[in-house]
Amino acid sequence: MREAARFLRRNPLAAFGAALLAAILLAVLLGPLVAPSPIALDMSRRLAPPSAEQLLGADFFGRDVLSRVLSGGRATLAIGVGVVALAFVAGTAFGLLSGYLGGWADMAMMRFVDAMLSFPSLVLAIALAAALGPSLTNAMLAVAIALAPQFARLARAQALSISVLPYVEAAIACGSTTRAILWRHVLPNGIGPLLVQASLAVGSAILQTASLGFLGLGAQPPAPEWGADVSANLQYLRETPWAALAPGGAILLTVLAFNLIGDALGDWFNPRRRTQES
Amino acid sequence: MARMIAQRLLAFLPVLLLVLLIVFALSRLIPGDPATTLLGPGATADQIAALRAQLRLDEPPLSQFFSYLWGVLQGDLGRSLKSGAAVTQELLERLPATLELAISATLVALVIGIPIGVLSAIRANTPLDHGVRIVSLAGVSMPAFLLAVLLQLVFGIWLGWLPISGRNSPYFLGDPVTGFAVLDGFLTGDPEAAWDAARHLVLPVMVLAAFLAATLARFVRNAMLEAMAEDYIRTARSKGLPERSVIFIHGLRNALLPALTVLGIKFAELLGGAILTETVFAWPGVGRYMFDAIRNRDYPVVQGATLVFALLFMLVSLGVDLLHAALDPRIRRRVGQ
Repeated sequence: MREAARFLRRNPLAAFGAALLAAILLAVLLGPLVAPSPIALDMSRRLAPPSAEQLLGADFFGRDVLSRVLSGGRATLAIGVGVVALAFVAGTAFGLLSGYLGGWADMAMMRFVDAMLSFPSLVLAIALAAALGPSLTNAMLAVAIALAPQFARLARAQALSISVLPYVEAAIACGSTTRAILWRHVLPNGIGPLLVQASLAVGSAILQTASLGFLGLGAQPPAPEWGADVSANLQYLRETPWAALAPGGAILLTVLAFNLIGDALGDWFNPRRRTQES
Repeated sequence: MARMIAQRLLAFLPVLLLVLLIVFALSRLIPGDPATTLLGPGATADQIAALRAQLRLDEPPLSQFFSYLWGVLQGDLGRSLKSGAAVTQELLERLPATLELAISATLVALVIGIPIGVLSAIRANTPLDHGVRIVSLAGVSMPAFLLAVLLQLVFGIWLGWLPISGRNSPYFLGDPVTGFAVLDGFLTGDPEAAWDAARHLVLPVMVLAAFLAATLARFVRNAMLEAMAEDYIRTARSKGLPERSVIFIHGLRNALLPALTVLGIKFAELLGGAILTETVFAWPGVGRYMFDAIRNRDYPVVQGATLVFALLFMLVSLGVDLLHAALDPRIRRRVGQ
């Protein structure tokens, strides 16, 4: 905790990111409780411009844009964190096992990771989501699969360097099972860089899931989701630019908040940078 | 050098085979019977049977994969469910449009990103440097489709300066020579067509270049700072070299190699961004083709486009790898031994 406070004090940009993120979290958690329903239609207010009652105006169906942005944010934030958690668990387990097993198994497993990494990750996510069928769950699954190889590769590097250390040899000599060694010794000692990678990945997970939503492969109407809401309102860009720009701007701010924090964390844990500073 | 190229190409093959396996397996992820799912509720039994035959669904999985592989080796990526045309042909027609976009965006990003990165490193920890950091972080946090929409709105709709969709105006539809519209305009002696194509190119290129330039600037800054802390910089300074040549000859040259690597890695995001950008700007490239195929549940096309994007990325990575080895004397020597 003290370390975290020191980190934020030394990194004003990260502190700004944390504050921004806190504000966004508060808004999407509390906002929908007081705002009108994000799916209530009101044809009399179709494409209404921003006003005192509707700060961001209304969309083509007369739905309150601010309400949709706030409710959509719940989905988006849950998606970002959920997708990264999924990619983290799957990728790390795969990578640790590969690095620990070594030899032929490691070689085959890593060639598979190389092949996954040969796809631009958004392209792979799009192809997966298109195969599984358009839905928010499938989009999340697709993005998680596309992001997992990055964790696998990093986890393997960690496992390789840790599995030759004396305490792992000692555990092997004591007859611990592979699972116990990976779980008790390798993972806890190699988790630092993986967590930094995770914090950096939340931003791209949100961007990618929103991109799938934008392409019609994510959340399906009328569910509010930022990416899908941008594309739904593109047709009326001329008349009501706010309806498309508001959810888009929300994505930008949220991803920026995560990147500000992740970027500073990356610097913080970079040993070379650290010695330069001290 | 030749031996190294051979080594890299050899290491490339098993990965390529796995990439093909993944692309093949994608179509088997379609829930239920893929043929029935793809054709939708209105399909007749005959149509379903025909598609099952085209997708070779009745053969055992391994032989399905080998048939697919054999087809790919002969340049056969199947037929579009929508148009019935050969996917390879349709992809090749659209590839130049995507390449034109990707190459232009990379060039623009280099021209903008590197000088900003150098400036930021020379003025490290000044307000200018912090400003660049914030702008570049905003650049990588910006969804490509949002920037595309913003540019359309400002330059196309409000100011009316630039066209917001397509690759050229309807009255400039000459026969393609190279497939690169701007170049074709000059080659066919029609500078007006070239100008028209260039105007169409500006906004989509800005979208893709923005994020790449942001990444590059940030990376060149950090690489420069690291290079400038090296002993050879101190040596250069103590020799009495002017600061300008210390920065550009000793600092920047050593920072550019890692920047090249980053450019190769970020090419993947450029291609992903191209799908979104082409979709927003109705740019008739591979990305837009993939998007239309997704809407039509035309999976052979989605598969083909996925493969093209993966191959492009693999080729660029391989190229960067080889270029890196050619430029870095340490790697060259290690391989020579």
